[in-house]
Amino acid sequence: MTQNPKPRKKKHSLNIDAPLHVTGRTIYLDDMPELGGTLYAKVYYSPYAHASITSIDYSEARQQPGIIDIIDHSRIPGENQIGGIIPDEPLLAVDELHFIGMPILIIVSTDELNAHKASQLIKLEVEEKEVIVDVEEAYRRRSFLSAPIHFSLGDAEHAFTDCAHVFEGSASSGGQEHVYLEPQGAYAIPQQQGMKIFSSTQGPTAVQHTVAKVLGWSMNLIEVDVNRIGGGFGGKEDQASPWAAMAALAAHICQRPVKLILERGEDLQMTGKRHPYQSHYKIGLDTSGKIIAFEARYLQNGGAAADLSPAVLQRTLFHSTNSYYIPHVRISAYSCRTNLPPNTAFRGFGGPQGMYVMEAALDHAATALDIEVHDIQRKNLLYESAEFPYGQLAEACAAQHCWDEAVESYDLSGSMKKIEDYNAAHQWSKKGLSLMPICFGISFTNTMMNQARALVHVYHDGSVGISTGAVEMGQGVSSKMIQVAAGCFGLPHEHIKLESTNTTRVANTSPSAASATADLNGKALQDACSQIIHRLQDLLRDQWSLTEADELQIDNASAYVAGTDHLMSWQELVTLAFQQRVNLSAKGHYATPTIHFNKETSKGIPFAYHVYGTAITTCTVDCLRGNYELDKVQIVHDFGSSMNRAVDLGQIEGGLAQGIGWMTMEELIYNDKGQLKSGNLANYKIPDIYSVPKEVQVQYLNTPGAELAINKSKAVGEPPLMYGIGAYFAIHQAIKRFNPQAVIPYSAPMTTEKVLLALYSKRDSE
Amino acid sequence: MKTVTLKINGTEHTAEVSPRTLLVHLIRENFSMTGTHIGCDTSSCGACTILIDGKSAKSCTILAVQADGTEIITVEGLATAEGLHPIQEGFHLNHALHCGFCTAGVMLRAVELLEKNPNPTEEEIRWGISGNLCRCTGYNNIVKAIQWASAKMQGKELPSTEPVFV
Repeated sequence: MTQNPKPRKKKHSLNIDAPLHVTGRTIYLDDMPELGGTLYAKVYYSPYAHASITSIDYSEARQQPGIIDIIDHSRIPGENQIGGIIPDEPLLAVDELHFIGMPILIIVSTDELNAHKASQLIKLEVEEKEVIVDVEEAYRRRSFLSAPIHFSLGDAEHAFTDCAHVFEGSASSGGQEHVYLEPQGAYAIPQQQGMKIFSSTQGPTAVQHTVAKVLGWSMNLIEVDVNRIGGGFGGKEDQASPWAAMAALAAHICQRPVKLILERGEDLQMTGKRHPYQSHYKIGLDTSGKIIAFEARYLQNGGAAADLSPAVLQRTLFHSTNSYYIPHVRISAYSCRTNLPPNTAFRGFGGPQGMYVMEAALDHAATALDIEVHDIQRKNLLYESAEFPYGQLAEACAAQHCWDEAVESYDLSGSMKKIEDYNAAHQWSKKGLSLMPICFGISFTNTMMNQARALVHVYHDGSVGISTGAVEMGQGVSSKMIQVAAGCFGLPHEHIKLESTNTTRVANTSPSAASATADLNGKALQDACSQIIHRLQDLLRDQWSLTEADELQIDNASAYVAGTDHLMSWQELVTLAFQQRVNLSAKGHYATPTIHFNKETSKGIPFAYHVYGTAITTCTVDCLRGNYELDKVQIVHDFGSSMNRAVDLGQIEGGLAQGIGWMTMEELIYNDKGQLKSGNLANYKIPDIYSVPKEVQVQYLNTPGAELAINKSKAVGEPPLMYGIGAYFAIHQAIKRFNPQAVIPYSAPMTTEKVLLALYSKRDSE
Repeated sequence: MKTVTLKINGTEHTAEVSPRTLLVHLIRENFSMTGTHIGCDTSSCGACTILIDGKSAKSCTILAVQADGTEIITVEGLATAEGLHPIQEGFHLNHALHCGFCTAGVMLRAVELLEKNPNPTEEEIRWGISGNLCRCTGYNNIVKAIQWASAKMQGKELPSTEPVFV
């Protein structure tokens, strides 16, 4: 009898990229060795937010040493169009300028310094036009990027008449710059047939499609390769494409490799950000605190072109009721055109903006009724089979479970008592606490995008190479893909190599976005691996003359039949398969089953599953200066059955920090000319180590996980960002402890200046 | 053009540079050591942090000619023939990196911190790396990584590197 190999301990904290990162061997776009003759492209962009070009003269710039070419829109062989959802955005301006940062010319040079000098010699004359920055102004003028979207459930109109309490108000949330630490960029290299592009993108196929369109070529002539990117957060989902298209255009015209990498200042000026929202809400409750009806109108500042705004707008509505069941809902959202750079995807994709308004409405109601907001929150949490405004029913609903666990295990009443004692003892320093439940739907809301493919090769020495459509941007999807393949083949992860994301190996990819990358690509990868495993099993059943009853295992780098002498190492098995001419490669495919959504009726089952959680945030406000510190954030999160706890915990902590940044300190300031005044990292502040909570605790909620999640490990990319909303309301609570009469508009981010004003605010003539 | 001679990771290098060349460009472009990254161009983010004569500095805002005659350590010079530097092990084992773009800079800053203060408190670590930005991690694991490296360098008992849940 053969002793069967012992199962290996599962790797729950594999970080496949760490050895590269800590030794500096990781290759980001700008780290690639350059080919001889490489040229550098620089973008000359509009300094006006709205204007018509009357003349542009770059003849002197063209004479600058080192300048190879200066390319305008007339040199584009294909379409001058990069709009992804709606074709409303030229790659290079023709005669109308719609935002500061809108690309006009591509300066191609032998070195970056000369390109910079040349850009200063360009003479642009324009007729300036009226600039709209304010979203409400755009709404008043009916200046929309796309059709409004409406969701409804029940009969909100009549339901309000039955409500004991009705509150109306407005809430605004600011934009947010992604600050992926690696700026946007691309490196285009002409091939004997077509063009190869290395791009820092979350969407290789989006880049491929855009470049093909701009060059007027078919997609098979464009190869896009992504090794990894230094952060994306949504900013490189659609907006990595223009830089790739410009590099490719210049490379095509000059017939030389062209690299285009934005400097940070250029990146901040030219690229879109998280959408600012201005919203109006109306909430109705019964005497017991149950929410009966909710109405809202969301005005999204989309910027000058549609980009992904319509999809972002839709997700705002999907998440407008956050983690609550509300029987009567009527909500509308408008994507408004302004003269800002086209705003785009950012972790949460419109969801956070919707959830913030919901929480503002609850805070409003609680303040007016003089009750604790968490009493209202708890009373209205989603429950099993409760209906979302879009018709889907909550399944495996963990909203109440997360909340109750948080309240109990973090001893909410004890914390509140301590805060009360602290506040009683301190005149000029006050603490505040908030609870923030989250519910986030997983899947692209455009059902078509919920598909993925993977390519797997088992080489005849037994090593394995895998390719998927997933782009590693720090979210740990590489590690998860390696874990999936290692799990399928029963091999140590060292046997598996993950290849770059390349459109010639895996085509028609969806961008790495919507938190769904590991689910979609992991399931496609499982499909490919299991095809190979099945072929190997068939071979062994034949070889060993096994019956169906024999339990054939391929695991622990070997194949064996329990209780028999049949044993073969993985290496021997692969060698045998190769000799027997078994196909050792496979292409896997996955399309999320069950999901669908009807845009006409705004009803369907758009999400494969939902992720739940609750965060308790405690802060301390300095009531003399308006400064604040986040003392701790205590989270209960629904991971399902996490396949990589280190990666997933990291996503919680990182997402939380980013959400806190959006809600508290990250302030994009545009003047009325549409000029970004916070245009570098010295005055656009993202959280440093003192801006994040001093303590973050995360409780791992044990839930069975969702079948549609990879290995039942629920998606974790976006949901934790919304815990950051808790920081905003904790600060509100602290302010009210100092000044119970404080008038605090719902206006995020809650900067120190706003806190100080709120601390000393008074109600009008009351 | 000016001649600049400096020692990088123990090896002497010489280059002809224009007076406006930045140190980070000299390291990345002339010497092809690309582990030092450029994140913001304005010394706000710290991705370009290196050690110059043992002192951490943001190489995106230092001229190459200013570094003439100095000894520089970059991320490529942290590991030795014996293996990884404890700070590298600490960052790896504590999952103190996601996208990895800021990692080299934070590690080099931490190396200087631990040289000067081998046993820093958590507050001293936070203060020490407050000039480096990370957009991915939320910093907690970075603090843990530096604490781990501190313990390792002093031969103390090593803290657990398992993800901590309540």
